[in-house]
Amino acid sequence: MDFSIIFGNAARAAFGPEAVILALAAIGLNVHFGYTGLLNIGQVGFLLLGAYGTSVSVATFGWSLWAGVVVGLLLSVAFAVALGIPTLRLNTVMFAMVTIAAAEIIRILIGSTDAIGLTGGPLSVSFDAGAFYDLNPYPDGPHDRYGIGTFEFTGQQLWVITVGWLLVALVTAGVVMLVRSPWGRVLKSIREDQDAARSLGKNVFSYKMQALVIGGAIGGMGGVIDAIKTSGADPNGFRPQVTFFAYTALLLGGSATYLGPVLGAVLFWFLREWIESFLRQIVEEAWLPDVVAEFFDGAEGVISVAMVGVALILLMLLRPQGIVGNRTEMQLDAR
Amino acid sequence: MRRGVVLVGVALIVLAAWAAPGLAQDEGEPDQSEPTVLTGTLRLGFDQFFAGVEITAADESGTRVGQVTTDQDGRWTIEVPAAGDYLVTLNEQTLPEGISLREGHQSTTEATVLQGASRAVVFAVGEAPKGTPFGERAAQTVFNGLKFGLIIAMSAIGLSLIYGTTGLVNFAHGELVTFGAVIAWYFNTSWGGLNLVLAALAAMVVCGLLGAGMETGLFRPLRRKRLWIFQLLVVTIGLSLLGRQLIQLFFGPEPLPYTDFQVQQRWEFGPWAVTPREVVTVVAIIAVLVGAGLVLQFSRFGKATRAVSDNPGLAEASGINVNRVVLWVWVLGTTLAGLGGVFQGLDTDIDPFLGFQLLLLIFAGVELGGFGTAFGALVGSLIIGMSTEVSTLWISPELKFVVPLAALIGMVLLRPQGLFGIKARVG
Amino acid sequence: MPDELTPQADSEQREAALPPADGGVPAIEPAPADGGVPAIEPILTVPHEPGAPKPDPILEVDGLSRSFGGLLAVDVDHLEVQRGATTALIGPNGAGKTTLFNLLSGFERADTGHWSFNGEAVTNPSADGLARKGMIRTFQLTKSLAKLTVIDNVLLGAPRQRGEKLWAAPFPNRWRSQEEANTERAEALLERFNLAHMRDELAGTLSGGQRKLLEVARALMADPVLIMLDEPMAGVNPALAQSLMHHITQLVYEGLSVVFIEHAMDVVTGISDWVVVLAQGQVIAEGPPWKVIHDDQVIDAYLGRRRAGAAR
Ligand SMILES: Nc1ncnc2c1ncn2[C@@H]1O[C@H](COP(=O)(O)OP(=O)(O)OP(=O)(O)O)[C@@H](O)[C@H]1O
Ligand SMILES: [Mg+2]
Repeated sequence: MDFSIIFGNAARAAFGPEAVILALAAIGLNVHFGYTGLLNIGQVGFLLLGAYGTSVSVATFGWSLWAGVVVGLLLSVAFAVALGIPTLRLNTVMFAMVTIAAAEIIRILIGSTDAIGLTGGPLSVSFDAGAFYDLNPYPDGPHDRYGIGTFEFTGQQLWVITVGWLLVALVTAGVVMLVRSPWGRVLKSIREDQDAARSLGKNVFSYKMQALVIGGAIGGMGGVIDAIKTSGADPNGFRPQVTFFAYTALLLGGSATYLGPVLGAVLFWFLREWIESFLRQIVEEAWLPDVVAEFFDGAEGVISVAMVGVALILLMLLRPQGIVGNRTEMQLDAR
Repeated sequence: MRRGVVLVGVALIVLAAWAAPGLAQDEGEPDQSEPTVLTGTLRLGFDQFFAGVEITAADESGTRVGQVTTDQDGRWTIEVPAAGDYLVTLNEQTLPEGISLREGHQSTTEATVLQGASRAVVFAVGEAPKGTPFGERAAQTVFNGLKFGLIIAMSAIGLSLIYGTTGLVNFAHGELVTFGAVIAWYFNTSWGGLNLVLAALAAMVVCGLLGAGMETGLFRPLRRKRLWIFQLLVVTIGLSLLGRQLIQLFFGPEPLPYTDFQVQQRWEFGPWAVTPREVVTVVAIIAVLVGAGLVLQFSRFGKATRAVSDNPGLAEASGINVNRVVLWVWVLGTTLAGLGGVFQGLDTDIDPFLGFQLLLLIFAGVELGGFGTAFGALVGSLIIGMSTEVSTLWISPELKFVVPLAALIGMVLLRPQGLFGIKARVG
Repeated sequence: MPDELTPQADSEQREAALPPADGGVPAIEPAPADGGVPAIEPILTVPHEPGAPKPDPILEVDGLSRSFGGLLAVDVDHLEVQRGATTALIGPNGAGKTTLFNLLSGFERADTGHWSFNGEAVTNPSADGLARKGMIRTFQLTKSLAKLTVIDNVLLGAPRQRGEKLWAAPFPNRWRSQEEANTERAEALLERFNLAHMRDELAGTLSGGQRKLLEVARALMADPVLIMLDEPMAGVNPALAQSLMHHITQLVYEGLSVVFIEHAMDVVTGISDWVVVLAQGQVIAEGPPWKVIHDDQVIDAYLGRRRAGAAR
């Protein structure tokens, strides 16, 4: 068993583009849920629109990549507004249902054969993200590698994650500045009790809308990064599960904390890939009875996602405040 | 579609490929080990696959490079000699009767395939506009809607009752439905090859036990710990993920049928052409639902359930053993959910995502009827099932699930308390 | 759905309800805001009957009703609340007091009726809009913001905060000075309500009585014109309740108008200038406290024998 391979793989997943995307999705959720109390379980819809906005603009309409990025972000903002206008007055559970239903509707429509001409339908859409990679400062020859052991990236990958993590840092800083202000205080008051906020003259609807748009746009950025990373988008990549993974990351790190969603996303991918690599190694090493090894063989991914479920349950039972959250704050909810 | 490969799942495979030592390859470098193929699945919606349809591929010069017919799952694959652009043609003559290419879609499409890659080609087929008269199709979809609505209703009652008595919105309810279908499949096949009726009964018992176990082992202690409602919600989401993955682990991702009642002659009743299986499904569900309804309406258990839904504290104070009521609600709910799964599995084959796909529809049904009322869940589910199926008269079956989801949204917006719910006090 | 109140209808309404500006009512000036003359005197001229017109009403209600299912929870024909006075709203449990508050403050929709606040017709009642106009209410079931600190709870109350605008929020220099001034005021309020030592604790850790006090402090922070308190003293210890009452009286001297719901008669007689009695949704009596608490009808209402007087 070679633990350096396992840790290398895990670290590579923890800092790879997937973790960037997850972190952005989770930061968006932190604005929605962590600070404002909006239980958005359709975050994946924002990612989808970010990704498809970018991809379709370039692939179908032949616009430049940068125009595509703008379109992707605008679409996720538009989704936030369209979703928010009718639903922000609803209670938590009803709002949650609408968000997940709306995200699924979009996914079904975009992935239908009727939409092939526009979005590629059930086929994935793909485009040329050359405009992004042209800016890549890292030498990217066929043999250029960055990192050690299995923790290594090609020049292109390194460029994606450099930009990605910079974006995460910027967005985090922006969110911190916002929530520290009286504006953030209003958001938190809405999370705690929106009637109280309203009784003090705060326009709850407007603040919720601002939060929904900001968090949605951050999720949309995750989608844009996803589109650039894969040079395309696929409807199967935007199932409801993605939102649940983002919640896992957020809760793992700590909801309503500055760094929680980022740490959570990194840890999420680290653990998932660790488990998967570990299982793969076990199978390869062949020191398990054949029956067991066969059972695990090819099921590594399935098991690692099952572990996400276990993690969610344990997290809620043992450390609901997450890694960097505050225990006493959490206990207040029970009162 | 059915495998439900998610974004991260895909990414995981990609990562795994990077990670495997020695396998790391440069982007664009041809991979000699994999054949270069064009492939696709000829299907309509989620449950109709067309076998025996002829597909031909030609290269740009028009030279034919391969011809195949689709297999029974509608799948076809043509291996092509090299990367490049190909013209793929579907022979419309070989499509089953009543099925044709969708309006505006050509029988020949162009596809570009990379070396060592597998390129999916989709032909959009639909029911031929002519053929069966509208009235007949309408009658048929109404029947399908009734059947589907009943299945949803059966699964929804547990969700609604559990919400009513404990305030828990159970996201793992879909997995309970899948669990019923899968357990019945095991009884039906590998565990003794029971007749499906017996297998279904056995599965109901197992589901009931599972429900009792979940309540006593997990949710009752959690209620005692007075977890915040959101924490409970997340626990059920975790359970849902875990359950689905475990089922996938043991059962596998591929859809599988029960051994009984598969191929049946359709009976003709006026405009309806239905299989005995479908008739039995409808009749059995109605019987079970009527039974459950009578129990809930008239038995002491039913009255206690309503008392607890109304006000658990008061019910407790007036001598009702709330925990016992909730336990039986769980048992009843999971049993019905499991049986719903069996019927759904009979209808569409069993796969690990069967219940999760139903979950949002169950939510829609429950919401439509008003959270927490069993009768509301029944009516809401029937409306949802009906509108889903009847919508296929006008829209492509692929899009039919948009209808119940839109109904869910519409209902939440117009009457959040549902058809039969009562508005909660504010302030 | 509430009746949309058109401006014309409202002005007619006001003319009907109000004495002509040039006389009719003794020319007693409302109290100046700096608090020289107590503002309670004008109320002495008001007849002791339900729906009595007041010389300078801050709130005027007409035909307001709201029912839940078959239950008519509020059915107020006419009600005026005097500016610069302390009005107590009393009535048995379930009389509709809280519901009346909810309707007036925009937290619930009225079935019929209209009202005006501070001389302005309330056409499209929204809770936050009314609050911004100075009608601040508190809740019977306290709404402390559990995961905010005590000081943040109070600071939230401050009106017109520059830092609450999204575009200014990321730039502390745009709002810091105002925030500092607000903090000072908030601290003074905490001091007044014996909460200063809890300044940086999370509000969720406060006791029930402390939360009541916190809610009142937060409401006062909002610079109300009219403050509506739903059982502010419930669960507050007598000494502190005394100090709260004293504080409120002080604010009334300074021009604030107060309506409060209260069950404890000693509190009602202690600080109110005027008492409105609600039973089964209707105003059944109005008058100064010494008069109202001896009213047979009121006593009957409290004892649940509304028609007993007629039968005797
Ligand atoms: N949202 C609602 N739905 C149904 N009934 C309601 C609702 N709100 C109030 N009621 C009913 O209206 C009546 C008046 O209630 P309200 O809370 O206004 O009484 P109250 O005078 O404040 O009583 P208390 O002194 O006990 O606080 C009660 O019978 C109550 O049950
Ligand atoms: Mg009350």
